[in-house]
Amino acid sequence: MTESFPVLLLVMATAAYVVRVVGFTLMQLVPVSPRIEAALRATPLAVMAGIAALALQTGGLAEALALGSVVGLTLILRSDVAAALMGVAVVALLRWLGA
Amino acid sequence: MTRALFSFDGFRRGVRDGLPLGVSIFAYGLGFGLVAAQAGFSVAKAVATSAAIYSGSAQLAAVNLLQTGEATLWALFATILVINARYILFGAALQPWLWPAGPVRAYGSLLFLGDANWMQTMRAIRAGEEDRAYLPGTGVPMLLGWLVGTALGAGAVRVLPAPQALGLDLMLAAFAVGMVTAMVKTRADLVPVVVGAGAALGISALAGPGLAIIGAGLAGGLVAALMYRGRP
Repeated sequence: MTESFPVLLLVMATAAYVVRVVGFTLMQLVPVSPRIEAALRATPLAVMAGIAALALQTGGLAEALALGSVVGLTLILRSDVAAALMGVAVVALLRWLGA
Repeated sequence: MTRALFSFDGFRRGVRDGLPLGVSIFAYGLGFGLVAAQAGFSVAKAVATSAAIYSGSAQLAAVNLLQTGEATLWALFATILVINARYILFGAALQPWLWPAGPVRAYGSLLFLGDANWMQTMRAIRAGEEDRAYLPGTGVPMLLGWLVGTALGAGAVRVLPAPQALGLDLMLAAFAVGMVTAMVKTRADLVPVVVGAGAALGISALAGPGLAIIGAGLAGGLVAALMYRGRP
């Protein structure tokens, strides 16, 4: 590669911005029917579940126990943020213990 | 057209809710900074890359590609498109809510779009958030955390403990699990959860993790559209 760094940077920034706006822009052509709305409403849950599933797949027992504790803590504390932070503490502790 | 609410109050709410996300992104930034430094990037170059792309997975792929020394500009462009394909879906899901803010505010806010604050914002929308400035608000602590983390990582702060030892690599997944738990209210809400998890695992096995997340979102949305039976 012979291009200078600013050129590389520009190409990378353009690609990164294009993916951020292309779905948004195309949706302006789609009339939002209740069916589309139902689909859009379901996507965050599906994406989050996908992120969690991949983390469980690549992780071991410590990661599974930590993510399991986040479910319980969210229900008990009624705060998903507090539960997530405590889940991170749980995995740090378990890794320190060698799990 | 009446513009949707876009106020400093909403922005501030977003900043507040984005602070814990910023902490986690800081840790990812440290990791990227370290990798970039090992690939021969100066602190300035590493930070410029983080500002330009603002996405950990895409940046790692780009640095790997640049290291080979044989990448073309098109390959670089295409790599980022594929690795970040999930953002196409993120933007589409935000559109009905964000567009009424007007084009300048909407396209400006999309500069701040990341994985964690997309999840956070979609959750807030579901809970009734009306102020569109919430989205860029959540993005500010994240972007700051990302840039400061990159600078420290590239500046070779090897005295810090590894992010893994603090469990910070699990932060995004932990937020995802917490938000899913909080957002699932009815048995029907479990359908996209099961579909998304299954699709992510299947696609990751077949095509690698780059397309697993957008695949999970598309599968969840498709199933929800097929199962739609009018207003409940």
